[in-house]
This record gives sequence, structure tokens and C-alpha cells, in this order.
Amino acid sequence: MATSTKTREFLNETGGIARFTGQLFSVTSKPPYEVREFLSQCYSIGYRSFSLIGLTGFIMGLVLTMQLRPSLVYYGVESKLPMMVGIAIVREIGPVITALIFAGKIGSSIGAELGSMKVTEQIDAMEVSGTNPYKYLVATRVLAATLMLPILTVLSDAIGLFGAYIGVNIKAVTSFRLFFTQIFQNLQYGDLTPAFIKTFLFGFAVGMVGCYKGYNSNKGTRGVGSSANSAVVLSSVIIFIIDLLVVQVTDLLGLN
Amino acid sequence: MAMETTTYPSAVTETQAEQALIEISHVFKSFGDNKVLKDFSITLGKEENLVVLGKSGSGKSVLIKCIIGLLKPDKGTVKVFGDDVAQMDHQQLDRLRARVGFLFQSNALYDSMTVRENLEFSLRRHWLEVTEAEVEDMVKEALENVGLAYTAQMMPAELSGGMAKRIALARTMILKPEIILYDEPTSGLDPVTAREIDELIVKLQRKYHTSSIIISHDMKCVKKTADRVALLLNGQCYITGSYDELESAEDNNIKQFFE
Amino acid sequence: MNNQGENNIKLGVFVLTGLFVLILSFYLIGKNRNLFGSGFTLRVRFQNLNGLMEGGNVLYAGIQAGTVDEINIINDTTMEVTLLMDKKFKPYIRKNALAVIGTEGLMGEKVVNISAVNKKAALIENGDQLAVKRVIGTDEMLQTLSQTNNNFAVVSGALKTTVAKINDSKIWDVLNDSSTASNIRASLNNITKTTANAREMTRNLDQLITQTKRGKGAAGLLLSDTGFAADLKTTMVHVKATSTEVNRLAVQLNQVVQNVNADNGVLKLLNDTSAAANVRKSLENIQKGTDGFNQNMEALKHNFLLRGYFKKQEKLQKARQ
Repeated sequence: MATSTKTREFLNETGGIARFTGQLFSVTSKPPYEVREFLSQCYSIGYRSFSLIGLTGFIMGLVLTMQLRPSLVYYGVESKLPMMVGIAIVREIGPVITALIFAGKIGSSIGAELGSMKVTEQIDAMEVSGTNPYKYLVATRVLAATLMLPILTVLSDAIGLFGAYIGVNIKAVTSFRLFFTQIFQNLQYGDLTPAFIKTFLFGFAVGMVGCYKGYNSNKGTRGVGSSANSAVVLSSVIIFIIDLLVVQVTDLLGLN
Repeated sequence: MAMETTTYPSAVTETQAEQALIEISHVFKSFGDNKVLKDFSITLGKEENLVVLGKSGSGKSVLIKCIIGLLKPDKGTVKVFGDDVAQMDHQQLDRLRARVGFLFQSNALYDSMTVRENLEFSLRRHWLEVTEAEVEDMVKEALENVGLAYTAQMMPAELSGGMAKRIALARTMILKPEIILYDEPTSGLDPVTAREIDELIVKLQRKYHTSSIIISHDMKCVKKTADRVALLLNGQCYITGSYDELESAEDNNIKQFFE
Repeated sequence: MNNQGENNIKLGVFVLTGLFVLILSFYLIGKNRNLFGSGFTLRVRFQNLNGLMEGGNVLYAGIQAGTVDEINIINDTTMEVTLLMDKKFKPYIRKNALAVIGTEGLMGEKVVNISAVNKKAALIENGDQLAVKRVIGTDEMLQTLSQTNNNFAVVSGALKTTVAKINDSKIWDVLNDSSTASNIRASLNNITKTTANAREMTRNLDQLITQTKRGKGAAGLLLSDTGFAADLKTTMVHVKATSTEVNRLAVQLNQVVQNVNADNGVLKLLNDTSAAANVRKSLENIQKGTDGFNQNMEALKHNFLLRGYFKKQEKLQKARQ
């Protein structure tokens, strides 16, 4: 009994998310477009996450470089350090770490915001005020998250590589130009493009899950807290699942 | 759920129904196993203040959410201005909601917006062609009606409970609706503030000649505002009548509210 | 409203910065891949691509000059590689330039090296086919090595028989000249040692070759690098020269022994001072030769390529003792 209830719950949740997502495409395609709200969401989702993501990106690059160094020195290929760090950051670590930080910051804030709006009837009020709350709240946020995360990831990668440059220069000396020449000489479109495309999916997942959890929040402050929490957890898991799928697909397409 | 069968008839008078703005007939609504409304019927006449009285969780909020189309009844019809709400598409609902105001129990002011933006939000309907100047006038009038013109640039979090309720009322009134639905307008307010709100409701009702359904269990509020009182009991309209009629009734089911 | 406008400006700066970085990185990758800007193409036909892949680098005189654009199989022994070249190299590459597949770095990324030839020729044109430079591949090199080893084995075998012959002959009893005897003995000891060394060397080299052929071991990696390969080659040449020397000495020694035998009587030999001097001289020669050979062996031991192996052997021996 217990398992069947759990299975039902799981299927119910999955179906709920699917319907919720399907709604997005049917709703967003029709005017009026909530341009102002979209821009303001872009500002708060994108611009205001930049400092956090920049900081983590910098530390990520620096630490990764310092951790990789001993192994490469052991094998006598210390000179490949920029290449390894570059590929690691651009292909995997940059997008995934950025998306996880993003999920932590944006997923929870969307979940909590929409959750409290739901609990305090603001969503109903919006509907009564003649605004489609789904369109106004969900579509704008999901779209903003989808478009902002790639930009954040690109910037985070750049800052991460800068961190890596500093990491290399802690123990050795290399010129800025040589460092970046080495990185870009070893990067290919097959490294950058799938990594860039998957960030859109990550952003979409974070926005969508955050909105779904908030929009379907239970009554009370506990409901808000738990929707924020489960938004982060679920979107983090989905990020890894997407990552797994993307790597399979790119492999099939022969981009690896 | 054992339930005492009532001997009182459903109180729908035909004369009222003819000119009714809202006509609710035989509405059923349940959430899972919880049957909230069971064959509920009532009408609202022009320029009438109807108070729906009931215990917490008796389905009063559900009732008015059915009127505004936020919830759909499982069975039965809700007609507003003669049209069935459940059959309306988005556009029709939107136009209906411009004519029917709704004051939420929790005020439901948008936290992220200033008071002014909160008021303007109701004017965002794309078919509503209003100029900037008109918006300005409407906001000003709405705020003056509730005596809070100075709060325009404040955020909802900065407002006290009574102020927030007034702003919510101003937002509900800004489109000058013909019907206003009040969901427990005085709950969570201190008695003095609650009386101010009561007076405001009556004042605005007289000024704009609106009809309203007020959900409440605050008897002072009921006494002040009600033209007619309906008692929601066990999912049905138990009785309707004036405040005085009900107050003097001998039925224990009625008396418990007036003690 | 003012605030909103300011936010929009910040957002704009943010988005534009992101896009700029993105486009810049695409451009930088594209620059390396020669996809932007017009270039020219060259064709080269190889018998064996050794794992060269599309997108691999093309170096002209060691400078990044283009990428491998396309690989086509022409027939069972011919692969045509199309190179997309940076146009700025066009005025420098001549028609007689030679292409060869090489290895970039230690990790074996394959590249096409184009090198100029010291003869005048017309400048290259778009779509030209370059000639391929013949180089000794690792396999061929290893084959040579193996042959050398075989020679080694033969030489040491011959040496062994000679020494055995000398040992078996009664010459010791007769040779009263103690200095000669000790000389001969020392020489023979040396020869024995050398032979043993040579055999060990042969075995080691054999092992090395099998390992290398399987592509295992550091040596395998190192051999794919031309610098190390050259080193190894020099070493092998030395070894070969030494073995020839040893061979020659062995032959001399053989002659001496034959002489001794042929003279039918040791007395004669002993009486004949010139013969004795000859023997002595020969033995000295042998000693010198074997010393030289030993030195060569020692040098080979110290060669960094095999150093590890010998060290390991030494350790093993110590452990056995």
C-alpha cells in the first residue's frame, strides 16, 4: 500500500510538472506579453546573481587549478594544466556548478516568492485583477531563468578561467596571453556548444521547478518553506539528470 | 458525517431572483472527501448587502470564489449578471471580474510592488483603454476614498494591518465594480480598526451604489453592514433574514452565532 | 520608474558583456580552427595516417598553420588528407614542401608537419598536392634494433665458443710466462663478462622491443617522440659499432688460437719470441677492445632510457643475494 501510494504521488507530481510545463508553451505564445515583468525578472535573476556566481566561479577555477597541478607535475605534463583546466571548466564544471548555485539562489527564491504569493492569495488576486498569473509570474520567470543562466555561465567560465590563471601563477609563471592561447588552442566547438546549450536547459529546469513548487505550495509558512526547499533539491537533481542526458546525446551526435 | 436534516426551506424568493445580480442554485463543491457545499442556493439583489454567516471551514470562501470563477462548482450553476460563470472563457471572465470586486481575507497586496503599483495593477487589462492621466485620477480617487493618499509610494510591508486592508479595499474599488465580494474583511484586525473598516464598507457602498456579499463571523461587522443575513450551515443555506430576525430566532443553530 | 530604467541599463550591460564573452570565445576557437577568414587548401596522400583526425593541427616549420579539414580514403593504401591552411602562410610554402605526420607533445596528438626543402621551387597554389616525406617509423626503427640484437647474439655466441676453446686447450699448462697467463686470464675474464653483459643487453633489448611494439611502458611513449628516438638510434649505432669491434677481436683471437694450435707444439711458440710478442700484443688488444666494449656497455647502462631497467635488475640481484 505504502509503495503504491508513493508511486501514485510520484506519478502525480511528474504529471503535474508536465502539465505545468505544457501550459507554458500554450500561454506564452499568445499576447499580451509581459515585457516589463520579464525585464525586471531578468534583472533580479540574472544581474543580481552575478556577484555570487562570479565569486564561486573564481574560486572554482583557482581551486581546480591548484588541485590538478600535483597530478600533472607527477606525470611531467605540467604544461598541459591550462588545457585541462580550460576543458574541465568549459565543458562540465562551469555549467554545472553555476547551475547548482543558480538553483540554490534562484530556485529557492522563486519557490518561496510564488509560494508566499500563493499562500497570501496574491496569485488569486492577480487572476481576479484580469492578469493571467501563470503568464505574469511563471512564464516571465522561467524565460528569464532560461536566458540568464547561459549568460551567467559564460561569465562564470570566464571568471573561472581567470581564477585558473591566478592559480597557475601561484606556483609558476605564465603569461596571460600564453595561458589563454593554450586554452583556446585546445578548445573546440564540440566542447563549447553542447556545454552552452545545456545551460539553457538547466535554466529552464530551475525556473520551471521553482515556479511549479511555489505555485503549488501548501497553505501556511511551512508550505512556503518546504516549496522553497524542494524546489532547490528537485532542480539540483534535474540538473544532473539533464547533464547525463546531454552527454549521451552529444556522444551520439559525435560531438565529443 | 451524521447530519441533522433541516426542516427549514431553502430561502430563495422568486421576486428577488428576477432582478438578481447573482444567482446561485444548487451548487455542490467538494475537495476530495470533504463535501463543502451541498446543494447551496442563494441570490443577491441590486444594491443589497448580503452577509453570509458561517463557522470557519464551512465553505464561505469557497462560495465567493465560485462566484468570481476562481473555483468551479462540481454541480449546479452560478450566474452573475445572468451569465453562467462556469461557461465563460478567459476574456469573458476577465470582463466579469472588472465588474465584480473581490477583497481577500489576507489582503493579497503584491509585496514586491508599491501601493501605487498595486492599485495600477488592476488597470492593466489590455482591453481597458485608459490614459496615463486617467490612471493618475483613478489611483488618487481610490486612495482618497480610503483616506490613505500619502501611502502611494510605500511598500505593503510598511503598512499596518488596518492600512493594508484599506489599500486592499481601494484596489478592489478602483474599477468601480457593481458587486464586491468581501472575504472576512475584519478578521485579524483590532476592534477599533474593524469598526473603521465596517464604516468604510458602508460608506463606499452608498457612494457607488454597489451590491455586496460579505463573508464574516464578526457579529459587529454583520450588524453594521448587513441588509440581509444568510446562514451557511452544513453546506447549505440554512436560513436567510434580517439581522434582527435572526438575532431573535429561537433555533439553537442560529443562536450560537449571536451569543 | 527611474529605478527601473537604471536596472534596465545594468541588465543591458550584463547581457552585452555575456554575449561579448561568448562571441569572443567562439571567435577565438574559430581562429584556431581556421573557420573564420579565408584560407586555402592543400592535399596530401599518406599510406598510413597513424591516428590523425579531422581538426588536427597542421604545422609549418613548427608554427600552427592550419587544420585537417577532411580525410578521404582513396584506395586500400592511400588516404587523402585535405588541409585547410591559414592564408598568411601562402607566400612561404613552396610546391616542393614535404608533409609528414608527426606527434605533438608527449601525449601523442597527431599533427601534419610541413617542412620546406632546400631547393628553389614555385610557390604553392590552392588545392596543390604535397609530397610526403619518408621517415623511418617506429616500427622500422624497432626492426633495425631487432636485427642488431640478432647480430649481437651471434657475436657473443662466437666469442663464447672461442673462449671455451681457449679454456679447453692445454695452453695454460705450457705457458710458463706468468704475466702472459694472467694477461690472458684477465682478458678472458673480461670477455666472459662482456659476453654476459652482451647477452643481458640482448635480452633487455628484446624485452624492450616487445614491450614497445605492444605500445606499453614509458619507452613506448618515449619512442614515439622523435627526439628520444634519435637518442636511441645513436645509442644503437654505438652498440652496433661495438659489436663489430668485438666480432673483429673475436676473429683475431680465433686466429691466435688457431696459430697456437697450428704450430703443432707449444715449445715452438714459446721459443719464437716474435710469436710470443704477437700473442701478448693480441691479448693486449683484446683487453683494450673488451675494456672499450665494457665501457660502451657501461655507457649504455647509464643511458637514461635503460637506466631504470638496469637499476631494477640490480635491485633484483641484490634481493637475490
